[in-house]
Amino acid sequence: MATETREKTPAARSAEEERLIALRKRDTRRRWFWRITGYVAVLGIWELASGWVLEENLLPGPIRIIETFPDLWNSGRFLQSYAATLTRIGIGFACAFGFGALLGVLTQNRWIDGFFKDAVTISLVSPGLIWALTGLVIWGFEPAGWIFAIFMTTFALVTVNVAEGIRALPKDLIDMSRAFGVTTWRRQREIVVPHLAPFLFTAVRFGFSVAWKVTVLTEVFSSNEGIGFEMRVASQLFRMDEFFTWALSFFIFTLILEKLVLQRYENKFFRWRQEVTV
Amino acid sequence: MATTVATAPTRDSRSMRVLKSPKTARILFPFAVLAVWYLIYYTIDSRIFPTPQKVAQFMWEEVTLTSGVRYSSVAENLYVQFAISLIRLTIGFFIALILGTVIGLAMGLSKSVNAFFHDWVMAILAMPALVWALFLGLALGFSHYGPILAVVLAGLPFVIINVREGVRNTPRELFDMARAFDVPQNKITRHVLLPSLMPFFFAAIRYAYAIGWKGLIIAEVFASDRGMGWTIKFWYDANRAHGVIGYALFFIIFAMVLEKLVFDRLADRAFKWRPQVNVVQMAEGDFGAVAQEALLVVESQSAESEGSDG
Repeated sequence: MATETREKTPAARSAEEERLIALRKRDTRRRWFWRITGYVAVLGIWELASGWVLEENLLPGPIRIIETFPDLWNSGRFLQSYAATLTRIGIGFACAFGFGALLGVLTQNRWIDGFFKDAVTISLVSPGLIWALTGLVIWGFEPAGWIFAIFMTTFALVTVNVAEGIRALPKDLIDMSRAFGVTTWRRQREIVVPHLAPFLFTAVRFGFSVAWKVTVLTEVFSSNEGIGFEMRVASQLFRMDEFFTWALSFFIFTLILEKLVLQRYENKFFRWRQEVTV
Repeated sequence: MATTVATAPTRDSRSMRVLKSPKTARILFPFAVLAVWYLIYYTIDSRIFPTPQKVAQFMWEEVTLTSGVRYSSVAENLYVQFAISLIRLTIGFFIALILGTVIGLAMGLSKSVNAFFHDWVMAILAMPALVWALFLGLALGFSHYGPILAVVLAGLPFVIINVREGVRNTPRELFDMARAFDVPQNKITRHVLLPSLMPFFFAAIRYAYAIGWKGLIIAEVFASDRGMGWTIKFWYDANRAHGVIGYALFFIIFAMVLEKLVFDRLADRAFKWRPQVNVVQMAEGDFGAVAQEALLVVESQSAESEGSDG
């Protein structure tokens, strides 16, 4: 819509269009007003609650958390912990993604689908804690322990999404490309991959958030570095300001990752269908 | 498979057909797991890794109360631990459901309310249950309040998001038409609003319960001295692998039973009036990225259950 109106000269706009634009502007302004009010309200209640409702050491307010951040950063543990945790997530999720995607393709076969059906359901419905504890009690501090935990919690998400994506492939386009003698390689590149991509993106997104939760959990139980380990130490030493700084910093990190990296990449990837969605 | 069906039903092809049916594959799966288990057992360099028999024996003793393990004076066996967890889960779940429905309805009906809450709902959604568990353990001590609050915090965003989408998806034309034909308000609510909200509300219930359960057992590890989560941690601390794996299997059995016996049937009833929910339509809405994630659980699992029926 926005591009449409820009093409016309201002004089060509009718009064109706003007009214619509003004309405939309007002709507956006109001939305931002309430959004900021929301931030002010929640942060304000939080700031007031620390000290009034709960002790300040137990529930430090947002201001103190922001003040704690430079200390953590300067201590040098910050980047080190992030590197450790992200490496774990990367390795574990890469295994899960590889296997899950392969399984998603293979489950087009009914026999394989039947074989792995319960595995997928179990992985989706069972809590991450049991995989973390099982992996750790078997493999201890070895990487196999946390890889197992991440793998078991995330592979099914990838499988389900890939299988869904394959089911949604445009059969008629593939048939037509075959009838017109398009090469297999080109067919994969220009029909299959673009159609699977949104499903893969959701799989990555969702898988990452689940993987991060279970990774932190494994780090609590058996690790000497990483965000989960730092959170446990902070809470055990009753340094709640540090604890909340760790938790919030990762939330902000994922937000940045989501907005700046994944979404930009996705926009680039889906440029070809922008006209349809707008 | 199609090719075997086409051939004449000789004895050989019939056994092949049985072998090739997805049902057989499904039955074969546990045996494959056992095979992998033995493979790990014979290759791993670990003293505590148990055989399947040992785990089975442990589980049997826990179920028949002959193991002689008494966990604590209050919650001494599996059943009591389980009951405590379930009660906490149910209380937290209903609080989340009521609170989430109110906020979700408000967010669906008003853009301002939506803007007010949206980012904070996403923040709660993105927080690992571990954060709540560690904090609640310190703030509230080892009481029922910590785990119950953990369930509320874990389930709430799912209820809110699903109810909001349900309100947004109500067919406006039907409302207009009902009003034009002077249909009384209670009839509109019953026949238009509720049926179109139903699938979303059902999804909210299902995922609030499942995610609440996951959050609860983590909270029980750090903020409680009883319950199923505490019990599996008990065996972990005792370094008894058979106990941990046995309890992990109890968890899996519970989740599967709940999924197959309760939720799949409820889903059939909730969706009876319309055979298929348009999964893609739900995914293509303009949610934030994290919201999409919340909905995707809904889709992937409903797709999962739809697939199992077919």
